[in-house]
Amino acid sequence: MTAAAHAVRLHDVTVAYRGHPAVHHLSGAFVAGAMTAVVGPNGAGKSSLLGALGGALRGFEGRIEHDSTLRIAYLPQASSLDRSFPVRVFEAVAMGLWARIGHFGALRRVDRTCVERALAAVGLSGFGQRLLGELSAGQAQRVLFARVLVQDAELILLDEPFNAIDARTTADLLSLLHRWKNEARTVIAVLHDLDQVRANFEHTLLLAREPVAWGPTAQVLDAAHLFKARQMAEAWDDAAARCERAA
Amino acid sequence: MSLIEPMTFMNRRNLIRAAALAALPLSAQTQTTAAAPQIVASFSILADMVREIAPAALLVTSLVGPDADAHVFEPTPAHGKRLAQAGLVVVNGLGFEGWIDRLVKVSGYAGPVIVSSRGITPRDAGKSHGHRGADPHAWQDLALARRYVANLRDGMAERWPQHQAEVKQRSAAYLERMAGLDRQVRALLEAIPRAQRRVIASHDAFGYYGAAYGVDFLAPQGWNTHSEPSAAAVARLIRQIKQDGVRALFVENISDPRLIQRIAQEAGARVGGTLYSDALSAAGGPADTYLKLFEHNTRTLVAGLTA
Amino acid sequence: MSSVLQAVVGPFVEFPFMRRALVATWALSLGSAPIGCLLVLRRMSLVGDAMAHAVLPGAAAGFLLAGLSLPAMSLGGFVAALAVALAAGFVTRNTPQREDASFAAFYLIALALGVLLVSLRGSQMDLMHMLFGSVLAVDDAALLQIAVVASVTLWTLALIYRPLVLESFDPGFLRSVGGRGAAVHIALLVLLVANLVSAFQALGTLMAVGLMMLPATAARFWVAGLPAMAAVAVAIGVASGTLGLLLSYHAELPSGPCIVLVCGAAYVLSVLFGARDGVLLRQLRKPVHLTR
Repeated sequence: MTAAAHAVRLHDVTVAYRGHPAVHHLSGAFVAGAMTAVVGPNGAGKSSLLGALGGALRGFEGRIEHDSTLRIAYLPQASSLDRSFPVRVFEAVAMGLWARIGHFGALRRVDRTCVERALAAVGLSGFGQRLLGELSAGQAQRVLFARVLVQDAELILLDEPFNAIDARTTADLLSLLHRWKNEARTVIAVLHDLDQVRANFEHTLLLAREPVAWGPTAQVLDAAHLFKARQMAEAWDDAAARCERAA
Repeated sequence: MSLIEPMTFMNRRNLIRAAALAALPLSAQTQTTAAAPQIVASFSILADMVREIAPAALLVTSLVGPDADAHVFEPTPAHGKRLAQAGLVVVNGLGFEGWIDRLVKVSGYAGPVIVSSRGITPRDAGKSHGHRGADPHAWQDLALARRYVANLRDGMAERWPQHQAEVKQRSAAYLERMAGLDRQVRALLEAIPRAQRRVIASHDAFGYYGAAYGVDFLAPQGWNTHSEPSAAAVARLIRQIKQDGVRALFVENISDPRLIQRIAQEAGARVGGTLYSDALSAAGGPADTYLKLFEHNTRTLVAGLTA
Repeated sequence: MSSVLQAVVGPFVEFPFMRRALVATWALSLGSAPIGCLLVLRRMSLVGDAMAHAVLPGAAAGFLLAGLSLPAMSLGGFVAALAVALAAGFVTRNTPQREDASFAAFYLIALALGVLLVSLRGSQMDLMHMLFGSVLAVDDAALLQIAVVASVTLWTLALIYRPLVLESFDPGFLRSVGGRGAAVHIALLVLLVANLVSAFQALGTLMAVGLMMLPATAARFWVAGLPAMAAVAVAIGVASGTLGLLLSYHAELPSGPCIVLVCGAAYVLSVLFGARDGVLLRQLRKPVHLTR
C-alpha cells in the first residue's frame, strides 16, 4: 500500500499520565477512507490515543504524522462534557464551524443552513432552540454527531460514541458512519461492543497499552489476541521497572 | 494509629502528655515578676494622664495604643500577660471598654482597678451611638477631666502610699495646666458667635465638649464606627447643614472619610481637618498628649469655623 | 398617584448623592451580573466572598510601603486578588483539582498572609474598613471606575462569548480545534477581579458580592441560556438597587444591606415562583401532561 492510502501514521507514540504509560510505544498507520475500531480493556489507553490524535492531548512522545491540511473532527467522551452548562442545540452544532469562524467570526446564512441540514441528518429538525442539558442521552449524542457533520472533516475521531445510548440511536448513528466511509472519510472510533465492531468496521486496532494486533478485524479479534489483551492489568503498577525501550 | 480503635491513640500515656501540655500556661502565670511595677491603662488618652501624675519610677502602658479604635479592639494573649503582671489597672468606665471585664478575668489580674470616671454623672448617649445609655467620652470636658485626675491621684496614692506625696504634687501641677488650657479654650471659642458654632464630626464623641464649651456637634453616624448610615440619615444631614448653615465638617481618624467628603461637597460645607476623639495621635503627631490633643482639637475647630 | 411618584422619584431629584448611588448600582449590576452568571454556571459561586478576603495582603503591603494611601492600598489589593485568581486558575487547568478547592486554598493563604502583615505594623487600624467604601459615598472617580469596568466587562464578554461557552461546556473539543481555552479562562478571572475589587472600593464587599451573585442565582429560575440569564440578572440588580435605595431613604435603613436584602427577596421569590423550576409553581400547576 502506498503512503497516500494512510491517513495517519504513528511513530513510536507514547502517551504518559503521571509517569505511567497510557499508550506505550505505538507505531503503525490508519488506513485512509476506512473505518477503524480501537478496542481493548479499560485503561488500555484508547481515549488517550484519540486525544493525542485529535489535538486535545498535547504532551506525548513520538510522532504523529498526517497531511498538514487534513481536517480533523474530534468527539470527546460524553462524560467529559458539562451538559449542565446552558448551551442551545443550534449553538452546540454551530461550534463545528470553528475552523471557519474561529473565536469571533459571525455566522452567515449559508452557515445556518449547514447547521439545520446537519440537525435534519441526525433526525433532530426543530430542536435548534432546545437546551442541550434537557435532551436525553441519545438526543444529546445526535447533537454532537451533527457537530461532527458540520465540521466536514476528512479524519473523524469518535471516543466511545455509543456509550449508554439506546439501540435505535446507535443504529441511526452507525449509518452516519457508513455514509462517511462512502464519502471517503477516515473514521477511527473507540468502541466496547465487539459484535458491533465485527459487523461494521473492517479494520481494528486491539490496544492494551501496547498494540496487541492491528489490521483487518477478523484477524485481529481472534481468541488468542483477545486473551492476550485481557492479560493486561487494569491498574497502574507503581513498582514497575523503568521502560528501557529506545525511541 | 488505627481509625477503628480510637482508644489505642487515646491511651493513658498520651492523655497524660496532653494534660501536661495544657497545664503549661497555668504554670507560667504563677511566676511572679521582680520587675518595676507597671500601670496598665485601657487606652492612650488615659495612659497619658496617668503618666503625667504617676511617680517617675513607675512604667505606664496602654492596651489600646495611639491612633487605634477602642471600640474594635481585640485583645491578644500578650495583652492578657501584660495585665497579669500589672501593679495597677486604670479604665475609663461608663461602658467604654466592652472587652475589659473579660480580659481582666482571663488574665488573672486580681489587683485594684481604678475607674477614672467614677463620680461623674454621665450624659445620655441617645440612640444614635453604639453605646446604649451613657456617653463615655467624659475626657472631652476639661472640668470632668479634673475628676479623672482626682480619681487617678487617689487611686495611685492608695496603691502606693510611699509615693503619695509625689503623686499629689504632680496632680496639682497637672490640674494647674488643665485650668490654664480651659481658659485658653474658652477664649478662643468666645471669639466666634454662638450661632455659628455648629459643626459636623463623623464620630459622635464630642457631646461633653459641645455641652461644656457651647459648640453644636452633629454627626452622620453613631458612635459605633461600624454602623452604616441609611440614605435617609445622609439626606437629613445634608438638608440640615444647608438649612442651619453649618460651615465645617471634621473627619476623624477612625471613620469613613469618603462619606464626609460626599456630604460636605453636596451641602457646600468645608472639610476642616482631623479631630481626635478616642485616641492620641502617634508620637510626634499633633495630639500625642492629652493636653495637646485638646488644644489641637480646639484650634482645628476654630480654624474651620472662622475662615 | 403623584405622591407615589414623588416618593419614588423625589429623593433622586433632590439629592445628587442619591443619583450617584443609583447610577453606581446600575453600573455595577450591568458589569457584574453577567460575571455572576458565569460563576454560578461554573460552580464558583463562593469565589466572590473569597476574593473579599484575598485583597488583604495586597492592601496590607500597600499600607506598609506607603502608609494610609488609598491608591497604594487599592492597587495592592487588586494585585493580590489577581494573584490569587490566577494561581487558582493555574492549579485548575494543570491539575485535576477543581476551581472551588483551588480558590479556597489560595484565598485562605492570602488572608492569613494579610493578617500577618497587618499585625507587623503594630497599628490596629481597620485596614479593610478603610479600603471598602459605601454606596452613599461614591464620588466621581469611583463612579467613573465602575462605569469603565462595566463597559470593558461587557465588551470583553461579548468578544469571547463563543470560546468561553465552549470552554465551559466541552474543553476537550475546544483544545482539539485549537481554541485558546487558557486565555479565555484567564480573561474571565481578570474580569472577575476587576469587577470585584473596583466594586469593593466604591461600594463595600457586601454590595459588591451581593449584587454580583444574588441576581445571577435568581435569574436561573426564570430563563436558561447565558445571554438571557445575564439580562434577567441585570434587570433584577437594577430593580433591587433602585428599590433598596428608596427603602434606605424612606425607612431609615442602612443602604448596603438594604439593597442586598432586596436582591435576596428577589431570589426567594424566584425560587418559589420562578417560571423555570420554581418550587411552589410546580406544586400549584395542575398535574396534566400532554399526549406526546
